[in-house]
Amino acid sequence: MSSEVVGVGERRWVNGLLGLAAWFVGALYFFPIFWMIANSFKEEAVANADPTLSFSPTLDRYRDVTGETVGLLGFSEAFGNSIRVVLASTVIVLVLAIPAAYALSIYPIKKWRDVLFFFISTKFLPLVASILPIWILARELDLLNTQRVLVILYTAMNLPLAVWMLRSFFQEVPKELVEAAEIDGASLFGQLRSVILPIAGPGIAATALLCVIFAWNEYFFAVQLNAADAQTVPIWVTGNVSTRGNFIAKLSAASVLASLPVVIAGWVAQKRMIRGLAMGAIK
Amino acid sequence: MASVTYEQATRFYSGTERPAVDSLDLDIVDGELLVLVGPSGSGKSTALRMLAGLEPLDGGDIMIGDRNVSAVRPRDRDIAMVFQNYALYPQMTVAENMGFALKQQKVPKDQRREKVLEAAKILDLEPYLDRKPKNLSGGQRQRVAMGRAIVRDPAVFLMDEPLSNLDAKLRVQTRTQLAELQQRLGVTTVYVTHDQVEAMTMGHRVAVLKDGILQQCDTPGTLYHSPANRFVAGFIGSPAMNVLDVDNDGAPRLAGVEVRLADGGVEPATVEAVGFRPEAATLADGAPLRGRIRTVEDLGSEVFVHVQIATGDATSEQVDVVVKMPPPFAGQPDDTVGVQLTGELHTFDAEGTRTATTSAQFVA
Amino acid sequence: MSETAALPSHATPWRRRLPLLPALIFTIVLTQVPFLMSLFYSLTNWRINPPTPREFIGVENYTGLLDNQQFVDAAWVSVKMTASSVLLALLFGTLLALLLDRKFLGQGLIRTLIITPFLIMPVVAGLIWSNQMFSSSFGVLNWLVEQAGFGPTEFVSRYPLASIVTVLVWQWTPFMMLIMLAGLQSQPSDVLEAARVDGATSWGIFRQLTLPHLRRYMELGMLLGTIYLIQVFDHILVMTGGGPGSTNLPFFVYRRSIGGGWLFGLASAFSIVVVVASIVIATFALRVLSNLLEGEEAA
Repeated sequence: MSSEVVGVGERRWVNGLLGLAAWFVGALYFFPIFWMIANSFKEEAVANADPTLSFSPTLDRYRDVTGETVGLLGFSEAFGNSIRVVLASTVIVLVLAIPAAYALSIYPIKKWRDVLFFFISTKFLPLVASILPIWILARELDLLNTQRVLVILYTAMNLPLAVWMLRSFFQEVPKELVEAAEIDGASLFGQLRSVILPIAGPGIAATALLCVIFAWNEYFFAVQLNAADAQTVPIWVTGNVSTRGNFIAKLSAASVLASLPVVIAGWVAQKRMIRGLAMGAIK
Repeated sequence: MASVTYEQATRFYSGTERPAVDSLDLDIVDGELLVLVGPSGSGKSTALRMLAGLEPLDGGDIMIGDRNVSAVRPRDRDIAMVFQNYALYPQMTVAENMGFALKQQKVPKDQRREKVLEAAKILDLEPYLDRKPKNLSGGQRQRVAMGRAIVRDPAVFLMDEPLSNLDAKLRVQTRTQLAELQQRLGVTTVYVTHDQVEAMTMGHRVAVLKDGILQQCDTPGTLYHSPANRFVAGFIGSPAMNVLDVDNDGAPRLAGVEVRLADGGVEPATVEAVGFRPEAATLADGAPLRGRIRTVEDLGSEVFVHVQIATGDATSEQVDVVVKMPPPFAGQPDDTVGVQLTGELHTFDAEGTRTATTSAQFVA
Repeated sequence: MSETAALPSHATPWRRRLPLLPALIFTIVLTQVPFLMSLFYSLTNWRINPPTPREFIGVENYTGLLDNQQFVDAAWVSVKMTASSVLLALLFGTLLALLLDRKFLGQGLIRTLIITPFLIMPVVAGLIWSNQMFSSSFGVLNWLVEQAGFGPTEFVSRYPLASIVTVLVWQWTPFMMLIMLAGLQSQPSDVLEAARVDGATSWGIFRQLTLPHLRRYMELGMLLGTIYLIQVFDHILVMTGGGPGSTNLPFFVYRRSIGGGWLFGLASAFSIVVVVASIVIATFALRVLSNLLEGEEAA
């Protein structure tokens, strides 16, 4: 660990000064979000005037955005849709990626490098560029305006990342344990359950968290493929931008609500996510 | 070249009750190879790191020569250190590893190259100068770690268990080379190990530590023949000395058998424990201390017999002793034998301090 | 990691491949089918506005593609946007990681605050910045600028690409910071101690040991960052709508297909070119990945 306490003979105050600098930088970095939160508690007239921090806070904006139906969509429908879609796609991603990662790490196939490269290379294709065929396919298969089409797309979107990260986590499982399970007669499923999942559990959680973040925040496909019924939270948030009248405070309230689930999950699972992001590819 | 002195050096870790190193006093002479030995948790590595400046002192001082270095940065102490896992710089070649310290001192390139070559010759590292650590075997890495230290020509060498990651045979080989090297270079060396055989074969003097407290610091011979207390007696020597608690009813008794001391200047009634080395005893048919052979270890040049003494007392613990016998030895497990003393016996008091060393006999 | 561990006698190579197949087939279908469809459409003159029957015209859509100034501009914007946001995020992320890599009161809290921008929706980030920070009406930055004596500036209109890049860097710096923090903390402590004993100053340790060690993490950061930043769309949509100099290739293709142009045939040709370009970039980037993997094996 290079973050040690002050070494012998080093000047103590340097560390303290840098700590202060970190506080300053951190606060500044967070400021835009802090401002958004502040705006969400203001009256519209206050938010749409010169920036100020003296105001009497109100929960009215939150009532506004959760109460009324924006466009075609209410708060609880949007959240319900998002939760269903995100959970479903993340579960499917794990179901597909865990065996795949197994086949690339524990008893690796000969061409594991090529397969891994293939998975990563698919992430370089801007999915946005394929929107036309995807839209046409969705229409032909009667999947427009459904949650299913988003589940499929989000799964495709997150699968390569999940395979990559899970592979690295599985590599940290000691081979002897898996071999012992195999000798005891365990099949793939049994090995996963008794040895691999318990040890790689935190890594799997980190991977799942990242999939949830990217799926929850996804906007483009949600808006292109769902004109009406199955709209998700990102669409609900942007629905608060109106051309007539002031909207900043309401938009802020909606944004806070929309961001809350993922931000809380990210805060709580921070340490795991840190491990997941970097250790997911470099040990 | 310099002496090293620990004066009441103390180190606490927050959250623990007793200090990791407790008021250590040690005087290391210029040119000496002093070994710090002890079980894990004894504070030996911590004491070394305090000398290196990698751990701060919570009390006392450390001197190198006449300089008080207690608050001096590691890089200003003129020391070189060999780490247990070698700590080689992974992105640099062997030559760059060895030349690193000189580079920090802004020594010009050709001089650096010269010194590195010199050290490489001594350690047989010339063919590997352009390799990176990941392409070296364990033994080669160890030598690079040594080379990195000797290139610097410092006042003190510090070595933190440099041999423990080598396989047994290589360890013995390297041990001798290391000791020779130190003799030749004459640099004061502080050497940490948990292996008492290593300690005994290498050190001019050996300091035994337990729980952060210095037990004894002496030459190997003195440690062997005149251990300061039970712990040192049992720690030094392989196989270990037989240290046994005795019952005392005015005279020390072992499983009912009296341990009659020749006049050693100690009151028999104060003896709480006795100790004798395997070579200080023998097995004889008529000997009074009876027991049953558990195992026989035949090493070829000598035989060690493990005997379980019949205490005859259901509540007392098993008493096992090891006796060294000359080959060939005919006894078998489960045979009944008698143990008799032929050499020195040490007596210990209630605190474990050695009170006397004398000859003695078991008397029925 | 061994290339192929010893197989139990009853196993065949197919037994090893089987667990991989569901994920592999799923990915192949979902990436290749749209690609083939695009390829097919790109060879036609299909358009919806005005509605035209789809006729095969061969490679006509492709000739003159490179003469299409807007296409070239969009390609150039893609390069600028991706490169600047990846590199700036990496730079700031590294600086932040260096700052945060020490024990100080509230370290965990500060780190939590800094990673939050990464967690919020791209559309939300774009909207916060364009309405609340950059806006010439009531934006905070504007207020600061006016306090300093300059006139009100509508940042997003005046500097569309820079505004977008600012938000991208704000959101992705935490990601890079986390990777670099992992890199800093994975340095073996005894090697750093050895350097201190060997006489290196803190700056010397950083330059000679830490930076080389971090190289692999920087490569990882650039690889992952590029993957996501090449596909930026949401920010452009909510901040500038593709305004001057801020349309990248994905946005360009979208605008020409179902985002307003309805020129399905032509747009498909564009998208094929984009796909081919991404394959080229991917091959290059994967060479980096293979170095990373090799480093992993030797470790």
